[in-house]
Amino acid sequence: MKKLPLRLKHYLYALAVLLIFLPQAAFAQNANASVGFLGSIEAGVQSVVDVLNLIFYFKVGGENGMPFIVLWLVIGAVFFTFRLKFINIRAFKHAIDVVRGKYDSDEDEGDVSHFQALAAALSGTVGIGNIAGVAIAIRLGGPGAAFWMTMAGFLGMSSKFAECTLGQKYRVIKPDGTVGGGPMYYLSRGLSAMGMAPVGKALAVIFAVMCAIGSLGIGNMFQANQAFAAVSNVVPFLTSLSWLFGIILALIVGLVILGGIERIGAVAGVLVPFMAVIYALACFWVMLVKLPEVPSAIGTIITGAFSPEAVAGGAIGALVIGFQRAAFSNEAGLGSAAIAHSAAKTDEPVREGVVALLEPFIDTMFICNLTAIVIVLTGVYADPTAVDLNGAQLSAASFETVISWFPYVIAVAGFLFALSTMISWSYYGQQAWAYLFGESTTNIYKGIFLFCVFVGSVVNLGPVLDFSDIMALAMSLPNLLGCFLMSGLLARELNSYMARLKSGEMLPATQVARETVLRR
Amino acid sequence: MSWLKRKSVLIPIDFSDLSYQALGPAKEHVEDISALKLIHVLAPLHPADPAAIWDTLSDDDRKEKVRSFTRNKLSEMGYGDIHIEVVIGDTTSKIVDYAQDIDADLIVMPSHGRKGVSRFLLGSVAEQVVRLSHCPVLILK
Repeated sequence: MKKLPLRLKHYLYALAVLLIFLPQAAFAQNANASVGFLGSIEAGVQSVVDVLNLIFYFKVGGENGMPFIVLWLVIGAVFFTFRLKFINIRAFKHAIDVVRGKYDSDEDEGDVSHFQALAAALSGTVGIGNIAGVAIAIRLGGPGAAFWMTMAGFLGMSSKFAECTLGQKYRVIKPDGTVGGGPMYYLSRGLSAMGMAPVGKALAVIFAVMCAIGSLGIGNMFQANQAFAAVSNVVPFLTSLSWLFGIILALIVGLVILGGIERIGAVAGVLVPFMAVIYALACFWVMLVKLPEVPSAIGTIITGAFSPEAVAGGAIGALVIGFQRAAFSNEAGLGSAAIAHSAAKTDEPVREGVVALLEPFIDTMFICNLTAIVIVLTGVYADPTAVDLNGAQLSAASFETVISWFPYVIAVAGFLFALSTMISWSYYGQQAWAYLFGESTTNIYKGIFLFCVFVGSVVNLGPVLDFSDIMALAMSLPNLLGCFLMSGLLARELNSYMARLKSGEMLPATQVARETVLRR
Repeated sequence: MSWLKRKSVLIPIDFSDLSYQALGPAKEHVEDISALKLIHVLAPLHPADPAAIWDTLSDDDRKEKVRSFTRNKLSEMGYGDIHIEVVIGDTTSKIVDYAQDIDADLIVMPSHGRKGVSRFLLGSVAEQVVRLSHCPVLILK
């Protein structure tokens, strides 16, 4: 039994040595080497981004058109909202009842309650994107982008419902009682039940590849990058020591995911909701201080959403950026959250889908909106002397005008949000990796993941954001395509569930036989 | 021929059909079925697995579930009482360690036949066991 911790320790030591000596060696060569070594990492990321851009980001409708992948997400969210007859509105109250435990049953299969599953999924979605992502959206798309983020959050509730219902329906319970779920499983098992086994298998593999790679961006490099921005903002001497920050962050994440030091994860798990509450209170405080200006700030956001001259991207620039940042923040349409939601203890797939639709609501319509209003209200984004500020630093500067010490809170909150999101995403990525290569090789994935934590910390926001965006949105291609194909089944499941809910007899009978399944 | 029979034969099980097929050939090598030992190696729960976050599934629960699952499967297949060891950790090293602990004379396992890139990158558990085991390993094709 002693051998395993020892092996893990060796991995960690090897990683630490690697990360410490790489930059040292670079520094030894010449005084300006930080540009040389870190610059070459950045150039590497940039060249990957250039290729990916060609594949996924071609614009539909000319130069000022909509990037194909964003259009795909918009279509998905609108389609499911109408196909499922505004499930995002009509199931809202029921969702809250379910989360409160009114429908929990210990008899049902699964590992955690509805509330616990929602909380686990939220720790992946509520990341530094809620602080930094909104600032990026407003910087690129003007205040109007915040309106489209909210709209995307609202419509995204429906796609989130769709994917999490399917995730629950086609999950597998493994012999040890753990649950395997997510797009890999519903694409392969769901579509094969419809007689499209080869298509399903192909989409599942494509998704797993995208998810394993995508987790390195949205759930890793972007988080590390913006955590560094938030922390170095208040600890100025760190600014030139991004590599040191990267090493420390990689070691902390490594202790959790490789060393099994669950304490750190548990501590982050407790602190994150706490920080989220403090953050929300601070937002309300800023609004209270500037109460008379709140209506005009909201006005600015709404008019910005519809004024063609608003941003560089033209009439639909704000919309594109809003949808993109919203999907990035709440993961609706990407499929990742279905992995966490499938662990819920229930025999009713629709019930967990209903719970999941609260996620974009909390993440985007609530927390992101608060950030947006604060940024617009304080006006820092429009200050010509602050044009260099972006992401977490722009948010921090906005709060600073009202609460001078708040950048410190942003640094701590941002760091913890980023940490918990990285840990969650390493789980999603690992599940995808295990689907492709088996459980016994997941340490390879973890090694890659930790290396990317370091890379994300030392590289500039631009290429990190581009890479993260493209790979995250690319996950929606196989995921939503599968959800479209299974939308008829979703509608039937939903109708049957709602009918039974209304009639007052919530049948305990299971819809699908959930025999223990061994392999996908 | 009983002098050729082995006293203790270890069969790693990963719940694939192939791994159960190892039971047949393994039986040929022992006099009594009680000389067969099974082992299944579980991966540790990821700290962000919802069950790990909320601590709703302990390692002991997982092991017990696997044991009873395997017992059912074995009785379905017509095998009687075979000892099933369930451990958590790295697959190869746990198999090799356990083989040493019980002083196994032979390990019987299938080769899954990974091909191409994934074979090149990852090798296979069977290959690693062959390399590290203290006793002969019979790889089924």
